[in-house]
Amino acid sequence: MTVSSPVAHPGLDALHAAAVAAGLTVSSSASWPQSQADGEVPALAGFIDSAFSPLVAEVAGRILRGRDGQDRVTAVVVVTALGDVTSATRVAAFVDAGRRVPPLQFFQSVPNSVVGHLAARWHLTGPVACVTGTAAGMDVAAQLIEDADADEALVVRVDLKVTDGDRDRAAAVLVTGPADRERPGAEGT
Amino acid sequence: MTDGPSVAAATVPARRGTGTVVVTGAAVLSAYGRGSDALLSGVLSGRPAFAPVDRFDVGARRVGVAATMPGSPDLRTELTRVVREACDEAGLSSSDRDRSPLFVAVHCHPELARAAEVDQPSLGPEAFARAVAHASGLAQQGIRCYISACVAASTAIADASAIIARGHADRVVVAGGYLVESDQFALFDAGRVLADDGQVRPFSAGRRGLLLGDGVGAVVVESAEFARARQAVPLARMAGWGRTGDAYHPCQPHPAGYGLARAVTAALQRAGIRPENLGYVNAHGSGTGQSDAAETNALRRCLGDAIATVPVSSTKSLHGQALEASGVLELIVTMLAARKGNLPVNAGFLGADDGCRLNLVLGDALAATPEYAMSLNAAFGGANTALVIGLP
Repeated sequence: MTVSSPVAHPGLDALHAAAVAAGLTVSSSASWPQSQADGEVPALAGFIDSAFSPLVAEVAGRILRGRDGQDRVTAVVVVTALGDVTSATRVAAFVDAGRRVPPLQFFQSVPNSVVGHLAARWHLTGPVACVTGTAAGMDVAAQLIEDADADEALVVRVDLKVTDGDRDRAAAVLVTGPADRERPGAEGT
Repeated sequence: MTDGPSVAAATVPARRGTGTVVVTGAAVLSAYGRGSDALLSGVLSGRPAFAPVDRFDVGARRVGVAATMPGSPDLRTELTRVVREACDEAGLSSSDRDRSPLFVAVHCHPELARAAEVDQPSLGPEAFARAVAHASGLAQQGIRCYISACVAASTAIADASAIIARGHADRVVVAGGYLVESDQFALFDAGRVLADDGQVRPFSAGRRGLLLGDGVGAVVVESAEFARARQAVPLARMAGWGRTGDAYHPCQPHPAGYGLARAVTAALQRAGIRPENLGYVNAHGSGTGQSDAAETNALRRCLGDAIATVPVSSTKSLHGQALEASGVLELIVTMLAARKGNLPVNAGFLGADDGCRLNLVLGDALAATPEYAMSLNAAFGGANTALVIGLP
């Protein structure tokens, strides 16, 4: 029995279902909130005003901390229905007020930026993709693995409060191709 | 079950499927106007399309220049138009279109940031893409939206090529769109990356940054076998593709260009060619100090001796940086130029930078008929893509 009971997480369930549908194996997973103990997501240095990037960093870190796999090529796929809508809304407000936008907003204006943070922190050298659908994201991961662009893929889904009702949420899975997958014949290399 | 040692040793993963992938249709909008002819004549003129921005107020900005079409074109309208035109050029019937999925590269739904919170959930890029697909007569299934910054469109093209080569799809229409608007302009201005001398000077001494530009483009990517069955004439082959990550920094490229070099190498390997087979490189060439030097290092690392002879230019010096649409805009530029037999100049060049020694196309467009040409893109997050096309 854990001290804090786990909480239901539809985003994580969706990632697992999409992985199965794409023929991938989930080797580990994490979510935010994962238990009742998860209150405010920890801040992430260099990223301001929005939970988007801190959520991505936190759920990814929960998977990657202590992981053995430094010799593997890991792709990162971020799935988000709207992108960082919190930051986009703030930038629009600055622009409409005729004010200068805080420079840090520039650096977090695309979901790639936090992926760059993750990749540097955890040495993830595989391709980077950000797409809007969970199934699409998992299909991207499956193709990258099938074509040996990556050995595995970290797929992170972010659901900000605006799309998920009561609170900001995120989930992540680390997926690999099935070991017994029959790889179609190939040309070139 | 995960990979065991014996399985990993026995099963060397294949890098691509066996299918040949072709581009059978393309359509585009740029600051030079609507259509491929306008774009090609614009870039071959060597005259950059940059001018003071009058589409929105730039009074509070450090820089007030971009490459824009007149007026305020509507992104959904223009995306729909290029998708239709690309499908027309490919000779797709209405039933062909109805079976073709759309991959779209955009920053976000144009109305998202100023919508009421209650309306925002319905204003995702996917709803936007679905409207474009519907208006274009494309399938409502299989739609993907890529929002991976400046590699969004090139990643979509690479992914489309990969699944078609594997036989997982017969055809994908890939479109990308960015029309210069106030929010991204303000962000790039705040990041102090816009060129305050009003010109983009890739790989040049004295380069001062990038400038944004309009870009909306679409390509029909399909199986050569299916194209042949329709008696469609390919514009080019998608010979190779590569995408990698730098694992270096949230928004700076690796100075040594390791990630981009791996993307280029993967693309060349998939194409089954050597660096000296490349007849043109349309570089990422953003015009910023760090990025151009890193890209040069990447090319030196993976092209070897061919670096001295392969013509290189960044057409961002002419049509500007089209963000999420860059990959499709620049692939179309590459394809049009190679087919025409004229390679566009690397405009804005003031003088050599020792950190950016490349065989740049300078002065006038270069007459050449490359058998293979490559388009490069890089983005925040250390994301890199390389697309290699083969010409008939």
